[in-house]
Amino acid sequence: MPVDRENSSTVSGDASVVSSTGNQNPPPPKKKRNLPGMPDPGAEVIALSPKTLMATNRFVCEICSKGFQRDQNLQLHRRGHNLPWKLRQRSSKEVRKKVYVCPVSGCVHHDPSRALGDLTGIKKHFCRKHGEKKYKCDKCSKKYAVHSDWKAHSKICGTKEYRCDCATLFSRKDSFLTHRAFCDVLAQETANNHLTQTNLLFPQTLLLPDPEPHLKSPAAPPTSPPSVALPTKIASPSVLPVPSSSESPQDNPLEVIMEEEAIGFNVSSSGGISGDPTSNSNGTPRTLGFNMSSSVGISGDHSSNNNNGIYAGLFSSTSTASPSLYASSTPSTSPFPPPSSSMEPISLCLSTNPSLFGPTIQDPPPPHFLTPLSLPPPQPAMSATALLQKAAQMGSTGSGGSLLRGLGIVSTTSSSMELSSHDLGLGLLPCSSGGSGLKELMLGNSCVFGPKQTTLDFLGLGRAVGNGSSNPGGGLSALLTSIGGGGGMDVFGTAAEFSGKDIGRSS
Amino acid sequence: MNKAMILNPTRPVWPGFSSSKSLCGDASCMEQLLLHCANAIESNDATLTQQTIWVINNLASSDGDSTQRLASSFLRALISRAATKSPAFSFLSAASASRETLHRFSVMELASFVDLTPWHRFGFIAANAAILDAVKGYSSVHIVDLSLTHCMQIPTLIDSMATQLIDKEQPPPLLRLTVVLAESPPPPLLGISYEELGLKLVSFATTRNIAMEFRIIYSSYSDGLSSLTEQLRLDPLVSNEALVVNCHMMLHYIPHETISSSRSSFLKELRDLNPTMVTLIEEDADFTSSNFISRLRSLFNYMWIPYDTADTFLTCGSEQRQWYEADVGWRIANVVAKEGAERVERLEPKRRWFERMRDAEFTGVGFGEAVEREVKAMLEEHAGGWGMKSDVDDSDDVERFVLTWKGHSVVFASAWVPMSRVDGCSYIEALEIG
Repeated sequence: MPVDRENSSTVSGDASVVSSTGNQNPPPPKKKRNLPGMPDPGAEVIALSPKTLMATNRFVCEICSKGFQRDQNLQLHRRGHNLPWKLRQRSSKEVRKKVYVCPVSGCVHHDPSRALGDLTGIKKHFCRKHGEKKYKCDKCSKKYAVHSDWKAHSKICGTKEYRCDCATLFSRKDSFLTHRAFCDVLAQETANNHLTQTNLLFPQTLLLPDPEPHLKSPAAPPTSPPSVALPTKIASPSVLPVPSSSESPQDNPLEVIMEEEAIGFNVSSSGGISGDPTSNSNGTPRTLGFNMSSSVGISGDHSSNNNNGIYAGLFSSTSTASPSLYASSTPSTSPFPPPSSSMEPISLCLSTNPSLFGPTIQDPPPPHFLTPLSLPPPQPAMSATALLQKAAQMGSTGSGGSLLRGLGIVSTTSSSMELSSHDLGLGLLPCSSGGSGLKELMLGNSCVFGPKQTTLDFLGLGRAVGNGSSNPGGGLSALLTSIGGGGGMDVFGTAAEFSGKDIGRSS
Repeated sequence: MNKAMILNPTRPVWPGFSSSKSLCGDASCMEQLLLHCANAIESNDATLTQQTIWVINNLASSDGDSTQRLASSFLRALISRAATKSPAFSFLSAASASRETLHRFSVMELASFVDLTPWHRFGFIAANAAILDAVKGYSSVHIVDLSLTHCMQIPTLIDSMATQLIDKEQPPPLLRLTVVLAESPPPPLLGISYEELGLKLVSFATTRNIAMEFRIIYSSYSDGLSSLTEQLRLDPLVSNEALVVNCHMMLHYIPHETISSSRSSFLKELRDLNPTMVTLIEEDADFTSSNFISRLRSLFNYMWIPYDTADTFLTCGSEQRQWYEADVGWRIANVVAKEGAERVERLEPKRRWFERMRDAEFTGVGFGEAVEREVKAMLEEHAGGWGMKSDVDDSDDVERFVLTWKGHSVVFASAWVPMSRVDGCSYIEALEIG
């Protein structure tokens, strides 16, 4: 007989323990299912050799020695031999339950007290633990010794997947996480999505209520001072259009004064916004508004000073809180609460020079939409504004950042935008492009910023900004540098590129 | 009769033969040859050295099987040692030409390397689980990450913090991460600056709504990280902040008693900072013997593991495998060819580390069954030879995990908390006593 019964014994010894745990069900007729590896103590232990265990044709006909995989098949075959009645019966002795042990010594299941009750079970165990893994999953690198294990795995392989934004797939969560944390593509995304998280960049962004106040000490650019030292030389001088003179003061009391000088937001520079009242020849326009675009570097297209003016005095410097800027017309509608000391922080960079717009302003500041600072912080737009502001500040010694601020204000909500553009008579450009009055603002006529930019994005800063997460000003500075460098048109495009790569390096 | 046969009479080695696996492909034979060579070097026997080198050279190969590649690294290291040792070996100076420069891994490369093998993941999973458990309830978590793998453990930790430490009332804690930048760190070398690395981590933490700070401290392992401990002492106390020191395969770079007492003094200083938890993950081997031959034997009996496992996760001849094995080769050369303060790879076996921790007044904590299951599940995803065992240390009855390859210990993971100084018992005991 092919089945080697090397030893056959009753489970003993620890069986007493085993039985108490194993035989829990009272009625014997009910088929008990013992715990795996805790066999019935009355069972017969069968130890098969590895060869026998793995043999595929265990059931052998005693007459012709033909082997079959299944007992039923063997019985069917035996019928064909026309056996006399006596021999046809199978042995009637009571069949004892058989349990099997693993032939490998040292294995847990080699011990009879941990025998497995099922032959198939022991075969699988033997293959899994002691066998060679012949089946390999084609999707991943896992290998299996047991065919059914392999099939079961193949069914689920790839179904639970983690996908990074860079299109790499992972089957394991921790691989996915580790990759995701460092993936460059993620960095870009973060930049895009976290426009508002200026706090990352600007630790001192007070605007944001933020969760990350501590971010002020991010690893990063140790050299960059907290207040975001943006390179000063940004801002193409040409950006600022000639002050208002071209515009009729009546129309736009607040004109953007695009100072040639620019500044880099150096509003004070000439004219327009600088705190120098005298520079503003036409009384009215105050130089209030910088044209945001200029600050943003949107490019030097601003020859036209049309209405961009806008914000002009938006950014009054801290202390003075610029009441000076403003919008003459709709006082109450000003979305921005009057400047308060809260402005201070933002003004950080802003300049020491308070209000360019100070004394020159003629119109009382009733609605100061200038005070972005006092605006409720969480507005995403604020951060963009803050950014701009900072950018503006960067080079400016005094004046000006208000442009940005103003921008920010405007961008805060579209409603405010509208207010500003229409109600406040800021002279914001009547924007045709849906909702993005800001856009117009900035660009004056040239729509640098692509029509579909949301207000937040209008500067395209979002991408640059977010990117740096904790790089205070890194991305922004890159942006600004690019602005300074070239036409505004490129700004956003390049900014986006920068964001991906320069963040770390910009400091 | 040639010397080769004399060297190993039971298994004749014919020098004309190419590195045939059947002849002397197995590790024990190679080990014998290398030991013979080492002995020859130590006794300044130039002739014997030359002969053994020649034999090994015929058998070893940087492109062959794992034993051959292992032998190739050892051979280079031995040659280097001989060349610097005495003028008797001056004929070897040409052979011990400078090695290739080590590859600088990009962050993505490092991230994928760390995933390919459980070597580091094992420690990451165990340590992160222990850390997470220890920092529950704190509003600020300060982690000092002393890791060979440049913060590769952190993303999964951040994610666990974001998902598990969330409470309805409380926001997740602030995470402050401090890392150490040493002057000439051991491989694997990172290709980007730590600042950039930090930026990415903070950015990632933000996406998980975890507020994070990142700080780099310049310090040197050769002086026991004194500037680090000093800075940590000077850090202002933050209320409700947990201090966790995660030591992942770096503490062995702190000099051992043969050089200075930095290792034990660092641990004492650490204890003085009263950390909430210290996780210690190290490779379980002993490279501290001052006897070169026994050191070489320990080294061989451990370093075969990386070469053997490399076959399971890196394709033969691939660049990645070259980088990986070059890093291993660097370590081998450091133990074999360097002496004094230059020899930085001073691994100690785990029982010795545990003695040190206890001497420094730390007491061990176990990881728990859930972690064990997690580690085992992770191991399932890798080649069949990986396993883990849970060892209970006799002295403190705490279960600790050891990663094994084909039954041999590779890396151990342990977690420690300060022992109460009041009456010498652990905090836990003290609490029970009331």
